[in-house]
Amino acid sequence: MSDSLSPSLEKALARLNKRFGARLLEQTVLYGDVTCVVAPEDWMRVLSFCKSAPQLAFDQLDSLFGDHLPERPEAPFEVVTHLVSHKHGHRMRVKTSLAEGGSLPTVTGLWPSAGFDERETWEMFGIVFEGHPDLRRLLTTEDFEGFPLRKDFPLQGTIGGRIRTDLRGKV
Amino acid sequence: MTDSRLRNAQDSEVRAALERTGLDPGDELMGGAVQLPGGIALPTQIERVLGFGRSFSFWPLLFGLACCAIEMMALGGSRFDMSRFGMEAMRASPRQADGMIVAGWCTTKMAPRVVRLYEQIPDPKWVLAMGSCAISGNVWDTYSVVQGIDSLIPVDVYVPGCPPRPEALWQGLEMIRDRIKVSRHAYDGLRRIPARDAIAESEART
Repeated sequence: MSDSLSPSLEKALARLNKRFGARLLEQTVLYGDVTCVVAPEDWMRVLSFCKSAPQLAFDQLDSLFGDHLPERPEAPFEVVTHLVSHKHGHRMRVKTSLAEGGSLPTVTGLWPSAGFDERETWEMFGIVFEGHPDLRRLLTTEDFEGFPLRKDFPLQGTIGGRIRTDLRGKV
Repeated sequence: MTDSRLRNAQDSEVRAALERTGLDPGDELMGGAVQLPGGIALPTQIERVLGFGRSFSFWPLLFGLACCAIEMMALGGSRFDMSRFGMEAMRASPRQADGMIVAGWCTTKMAPRVVRLYEQIPDPKWVLAMGSCAISGNVWDTYSVVQGIDSLIPVDVYVPGCPPRPEALWQGLEMIRDRIKVSRHAYDGLRRIPARDAIAESEART
């Protein structure tokens, strides 16, 4: 596989570099896909630029999810978004690293579909998205305790997942 | 699977109880003269007629939780063809169903819905737990999976396997039909059944 970029993605990357320069902490290209790493402070700015700039025009948020890397104690959490542009037919990955207890601004204002993704990321990793309109648990029960996709969450046992309240009235 | 569950599936104590009342479960339905003390032959016969009818039109609830449901669909398809036994009409509404096949693991999020579906099925009803996950949670001893559906609803027949082949599910359904014929339910210990109370009362009187 070649690591060359498609013409539209080359233009998009050049535009992004011109706008943010050194604020893009890292750029890697693998199999024709671009990954950009930004600081949490630039999260909102970079993503809104990705959506609004005509050379990028990422009109769809493919996914947003987290990652827990306990071998990096200074910044153990990662949030990854996959962006898709239907206008140019290209895609890009934007990542950021977070310290324990860190938070990000919500991107539901840019892509409403981020609502479910951010809810799931919060419930699984405990990463708070500030300004999210409805940050409730999505896949576990309402009375669940803990963040199950963190690496220190016990693999076995129904810890936190036991049904403690009768939820049938709410179904 | 524990021993008591195996015993449950074999209905031995039901057959023994029926023998005490003078009924032979192997009888032709309306054939042999069934003499019952205390003049309760009629309700028992009605129960048997109903059980006979029900056993040939067991309509399970149309729902599947995980991969076992694929094998359940195979049983419904033309190769295994459960419509031969009057079970092809899987009802999408619990109010029209006679029981449920819990096919697959049940998450804690899904558990209240499964219990509600069970409660919405009108009596009498029978439950079949299909596959290791529905029986015990299988390898998913994790935060999100119910460790055995029998902790939530009474289960009549357990069909082990991962997943069970359609033949195994078929055998489980045959065992359900045996239970239907003698009107035996997993929830017997939890609630009263009028016809059984009548038999027990007459036995106490004589």
